[in-house]
Amino acid sequence: MKFGGTSLGDGQRINNAARIVKEYVENNEVIVVCSAMAGVTDTLFALVDRASRGRVRDVEITLNNLSEKHFKAIDDAIKNEEIKKDVKSIVKELIEDLRRAVLSILYLREATPRSRDYVVSFGERLSTRIMWGALTELNVNCKYLDGGDAGIITDSNFGEANPLMEITRLEVRRRIGSLLDRGITPLVTGYIAVNEEGVITTLGRGGSDYTATILGYCLDADEVWLWSDVDGLMTADPRIVKNARVLSTVSFNEAIEMAIFGAKGLHPRALEPAMKSNINVRIKNTFNPPHPGTLITSKPEKSDMIVKAVLLVKDVAMISVRGASMVGRPGTVAKILETLAKENINVMMISQSVSESSVSIVIKREALPRALNRLETALLGTSLVEDIESEDDVNVVAVIGERMKGTPGVASRVFGAVAKKGINIRMIAQGSSELNISFVVKEEDGYEAVRAIHEEYGL
Amino acid sequence: MGVSLAEILIERSEELRREEGLNIRIVGIVDSSGAAVNDKGLDLEEMIRTKKKLGSVSCHNEYGRHGLNVLDLLDELDVDVLVDATPTNLKDGEPSFTYIKKALTYRIHVVTVNKGPLALALPALRELAKHKDVVFRFSGSVGGGLPVIEFARQCARGDKIVKVEGVLNGTTNYIISRMEDGLDFKTALTEAQEKGYAERDPSLDIMGFDTAAKLVILANEVVGRKVTINDISIKGIEDLEKEDIDEASRSGETYRLIGRVDGELEVKPTRIKREDPLAVRYSMNAVSFTTLNSGRHVILGRGAGGRETATAILRDLIEIKKKLVEVRI
Repeated sequence: MKFGGTSLGDGQRINNAARIVKEYVENNEVIVVCSAMAGVTDTLFALVDRASRGRVRDVEITLNNLSEKHFKAIDDAIKNEEIKKDVKSIVKELIEDLRRAVLSILYLREATPRSRDYVVSFGERLSTRIMWGALTELNVNCKYLDGGDAGIITDSNFGEANPLMEITRLEVRRRIGSLLDRGITPLVTGYIAVNEEGVITTLGRGGSDYTATILGYCLDADEVWLWSDVDGLMTADPRIVKNARVLSTVSFNEAIEMAIFGAKGLHPRALEPAMKSNINVRIKNTFNPPHPGTLITSKPEKSDMIVKAVLLVKDVAMISVRGASMVGRPGTVAKILETLAKENINVMMISQSVSESSVSIVIKREALPRALNRLETALLGTSLVEDIESEDDVNVVAVIGERMKGTPGVASRVFGAVAKKGINIRMIAQGSSELNISFVVKEEDGYEAVRAIHEEYGL
Repeated sequence: MGVSLAEILIERSEELRREEGLNIRIVGIVDSSGAAVNDKGLDLEEMIRTKKKLGSVSCHNEYGRHGLNVLDLLDELDVDVLVDATPTNLKDGEPSFTYIKKALTYRIHVVTVNKGPLALALPALRELAKHKDVVFRFSGSVGGGLPVIEFARQCARGDKIVKVEGVLNGTTNYIISRMEDGLDFKTALTEAQEKGYAERDPSLDIMGFDTAAKLVILANEVVGRKVTINDISIKGIEDLEKEDIDEASRSGETYRLIGRVDGELEVKPTRIKREDPLAVRYSMNAVSFTTLNSGRHVILGRGAGGRETATAILRDLIEIKKKLVEVRI
């Protein structure tokens, strides 16, 4: 079970999460993975940044705030005075360690990825200790472990380390396995690990969810539960579609598509280990525990739903490159992609007509000025390209569902529904996996297009 | 084991230098009581004499160091290769596992003949070696001096190995062979012990664990399965009766303790035809690889033995030298 930052947002919530754990440990072997308290990881990143710029006063204030936040959480999460005292002294010591680390960055005015990982790791380490106190108070026999102590070993790609899966599997089985055998519930810090030399690393994208699925994979868990502040994956954003509802089951492929298109808080990378070993992942809400949530599984029950979800990606922009002489000239698309790759700009969608006279791509809106600038420099004035146009007032609508594959007429139904509302479609892309159809509309039409499809498929 | 390796290195040093460009300098030797260390290279003849006379290399008057272990040595010395010839422990693979892990972490190439860490953690150790870009070899761990793994690689080139079967343990094979000759299990076992084939505690061999450990290595190296000994179903020869063998022999068949990888991973006494190439006698080993297109290939020969295994270590060292040369150019 992994608890997200919002679910551990303050002392009361930590206490609530501990009660949820308590309910399940009696009849199950549970491993608990904790994120940092909401906002703490961002604060720690900012702290490193400020320290490396030598802003002494800012650093002091931030450190004190962090300390206060955690001590208050202890007061609210734990009643028993003795346990409270224990946890406070552990947390105090950790905060001292943190202070020393930050001071050394401050003196040297230098933050390396390695020192950043070390500082950022304190978020999870602090929250896990408080959770330990709350669980101990509830008479759960538990032990807290930092990611590395739990056996998660990564390469030395600080900031976004990759687990060495086979070594990790061996170590996790040795360390966590023996705790479980003795009836002890392990509490593991999410997000953090160590490299093979024992230096702290962080997992980057996917964060604590990734920790949970890695542990699940290593121990052949029955299920991985990701507790956060939403009931599950939804058919659409409820702010756009009023009667959007929680999906009870989705396949891994669908979940990955939904994660890519911004389903809240889920990163595709985090699903990989679970998918590889066929472990079900369940998304649950700590603020609404009775809700069954969404089950992500490799064997979804047969469902009549052809379309599972309709998502809207807002902050995007479209660039079209046109030129009659691009026809039959290999390499134009390669040139466009290469130019963007050099600028570290990710291409979200691409489409080209068979006639090859124009190529459209979709990128993040914030990257548009840079992208346009680079593409114009690289391509305009070559005889190939006549014109480069951009539109920054567009949205991407993504229609997701595994059963679209092999169901004829999906496209006509989707686009028919949109057309009926008088909405013009600017660009279309469908992967050959047929898991999703994405298209671009004007920003003002975005909500309406989502609603139209949601209604057409009766979601 | 260590002594055999030293002897072979002494005998062949001239030849190795001339033909392989390999000049091996032994900078440290560790045994159970301590170590001998000299970063300019130890005199191996002197070391063998010390070991034989005083019981441990650590008793050497100049280079001996009492109580020094492998981990200290790795910290202290600048070495290229660790050769691990510690006895097999199939329970947790220690201390060999820790030695190998530390060496690989320090980017030191490793040659081992210890089946313990391989049986329990081969996928993990391979991953670590690859991550650290060093060579990790263990050809002496299966079939002793028989180049089983290299042979398998040759068989698989441009083809695919779909099945591996092997008589991988000399002790049990000796016992079964003697039972064919008319002895009962107990007498055959005692004889094997007297002749020095079987250990005083022969249970690892008899119960099939030694065969299983070797099977793990073949499954990982030859078939690419990421498995450990826990994934293998193991049955030894402890319940094999003389009557079973007599009964089989009436229809021209016999039993061998065979480790098999195809869809399954299994070690058990298996009834085979007497003329099957795997029906080798006494302390011989035999491994057969069935390929998708080119049929069945069998390699057989004498398995374990100090000099055979030492030769396998030497083969691995030559491989490592080749790798070092590649890197430098």
